[in-house]
Amino acid sequence: MSLVTTLWSMQAAAALTLAVLYGLVWSIDRRNLANLTLCIVAVAMAVAARDEVRMMHAATTTEYGEWTRLIYLPLFFALVGQMFFVHLFLGTGRVWLLSIIVGARVVVLAGNFLTHPTFAWREIVGLRQVTFLGEQVSIAGPIVLRSWHWLSLASYLLIIVFIADAALRAWRRGGAEGRRKALVIAAGVGIPLTLTAVYSQAVLLGALPLPFLVTPSFLITIVVMAVELSRGFILNRQTRQELEELRAELARAGRVTALGQLASALAHELSQPLSAILRNAEAAELHLNGPHPDLDELRAIVTDIRKDDQRAGDVIEQMRSLIKRRTLQMHPLALNEVVEDVISLVHSDALARHVALDYVMTPGLPLVSGDRVHLSQVLLNLIINGMDATQASPAYNKRVVIEARPREEGRVEVAVTDSGPGLPAAAIAKVFDPFYTTKSGGLGMGLPISRTIIEAHGGRLWAERAPQGSGLTFRFTLAQAQGAVS
Amino acid sequence: MSAAGVVYVVDDDPSFRRAVTRMLTAAGLSVQSYSSGPELLAHLSADAAAEESGCVLADLCMPGLDGLELQQACTELGVALPFVFLTGHGDVPSAVSAMRHGAVDFLDKCAPQQALLSSLEQALERDANARVARLKRERLEQRFAALTMREREVLEQVVQGRMNKQIAAALAIHERTVKLHRNAITTKLGVRSVAELTTLTREIGLFEEPRQSCP
Repeated sequence: MSLVTTLWSMQAAAALTLAVLYGLVWSIDRRNLANLTLCIVAVAMAVAARDEVRMMHAATTTEYGEWTRLIYLPLFFALVGQMFFVHLFLGTGRVWLLSIIVGARVVVLAGNFLTHPTFAWREIVGLRQVTFLGEQVSIAGPIVLRSWHWLSLASYLLIIVFIADAALRAWRRGGAEGRRKALVIAAGVGIPLTLTAVYSQAVLLGALPLPFLVTPSFLITIVVMAVELSRGFILNRQTRQELEELRAELARAGRVTALGQLASALAHELSQPLSAILRNAEAAELHLNGPHPDLDELRAIVTDIRKDDQRAGDVIEQMRSLIKRRTLQMHPLALNEVVEDVISLVHSDALARHVALDYVMTPGLPLVSGDRVHLSQVLLNLIINGMDATQASPAYNKRVVIEARPREEGRVEVAVTDSGPGLPAAAIAKVFDPFYTTKSGGLGMGLPISRTIIEAHGGRLWAERAPQGSGLTFRFTLAQAQGAVS
Repeated sequence: MSAAGVVYVVDDDPSFRRAVTRMLTAAGLSVQSYSSGPELLAHLSADAAAEESGCVLADLCMPGLDGLELQQACTELGVALPFVFLTGHGDVPSAVSAMRHGAVDFLDKCAPQQALLSSLEQALERDANARVARLKRERLEQRFAALTMREREVLEQVVQGRMNKQIAAALAIHERTVKLHRNAITTKLGVRSVAELTTLTREIGLFEEPRQSCP
């Protein structure tokens, strides 16, 4: 086998390998279109490599012209693919310029298949044999050009302008990463393309006695594209993993934050029994200081003090169980009890903020399988969010409704609906993104943590517009516990 | 405790309500307790209740009608009882609003016993004083109501410090008639001197409007 055939086959093989690899990557995550553009460019390059070898090995002008004509097709996909890659990668390309280039290349491609031998050439006057890489290859002799051959050249110039402009804008926009990307595109895509254009023009005008070559520069471009994309892929993975760890750590912090929001409400919850104990003690003291202490009254006082002490203890126990760092402990739970506990925690906060809390309970709700503390945290978060959302609403329309009902396939669904102003659809889609918040003092961690918890339970948590009114509804599902009905 | 009158305790928490009622009763106060604002309002709108003096000890945070709204509702009902508010977590805007509407005090639920008792004593005293003043003014108004139109005209001239002769000229009546009217006025109002007459007139706010018809 000749050296040219070997080298060009290797180029094609390398390109096809990358095409398969990035085609697979794209099929896994279809949102990242840059992977698809690389796949297309690589396939086009492999086809172009075959056409180039055939051109070099052509025996007649007709054969040479036929392969030249055919190479326009992979050329079209390679060029357009590169443009789209630049556009997706930098995000600074001018769309109108891109449209003109694609339009021009479509005209060239269509015209090419309506003419002979090619769009730009009227006639090939003979072939010449030259030595290339120690081998005899065919190149075109003098070429008679058509009057519109400039369109092909102009499209090349526009492509170079497009890339230069996109890179320059990315550079001006600044940022270390942005500037690095601009340089990569300029060096990895812009320069090879420019060299190819200059080289082709020199060959066309007979200044260089060498064959037309586009694939070597494309190979450079494809490798640069692949390196950049895999770099983004690796970095993304790292970030995702770090975020996952951060989220787990913040799950505990989130509970503490939720309690921070509740601090004043809890203080109130505690002050109620504590002040009752104080007044009872004072009453007892007054009785004891009198001449004939009323023993029955004193006994009643002591009983009440004991009850209130128990009450204060319960509040503290609830608070402590929420702060503790624990892994999930799944038990069969009566959801009604969990909801009622959480409502009693936020009860005074709701009162102080004039928000009505309604719990629509379905009798005979099946037990769910879950961790009481973690589910309480999710409910607490959703209810506090709901109350925050109604902050600006008029007093008669401050309402948070909690509903729990059985769903198909052994699931139970809980919905928390607020009467607030709601959010536009674009914002609803973002509420579960970490650090996304619409509240001035918000951390943006409550909902992502809640979602992590529900997903760890094997359920789903999502947001949607409230079925009635303008507010939002958050729904989550939980698996029914095996067996009994509560 | 020296002050008489009823302390109306309003709190939605039964345990605290019972405890505070016990303590105040043991401290010698007369206490009635209610679990909500509307319950107290229902009691106050009964005729007999309006006669009793007293004050309200209310929780600021209650479901339905909260403390501030209860205070407003009492004012609208025409029962001007002094309020002492209790709160689990006092916030400044509520305190300001409560004081502006005439609250006597704004206390933490765990406030010292002495502070609570002295606030209530002050509130009861304020209500008692207000009742005395109201009674006095009512009696005074009754006495002024007994004056005839002509006597009122003469009184207006007298408190402006005019001589009998000037008054007679201004009202186009005889000087002797003026004297008769003055005697009738002092008898009806039960005063002895012009100075006393002037004080009373000012107290009740008669002739406050700017005069227009005098030449």
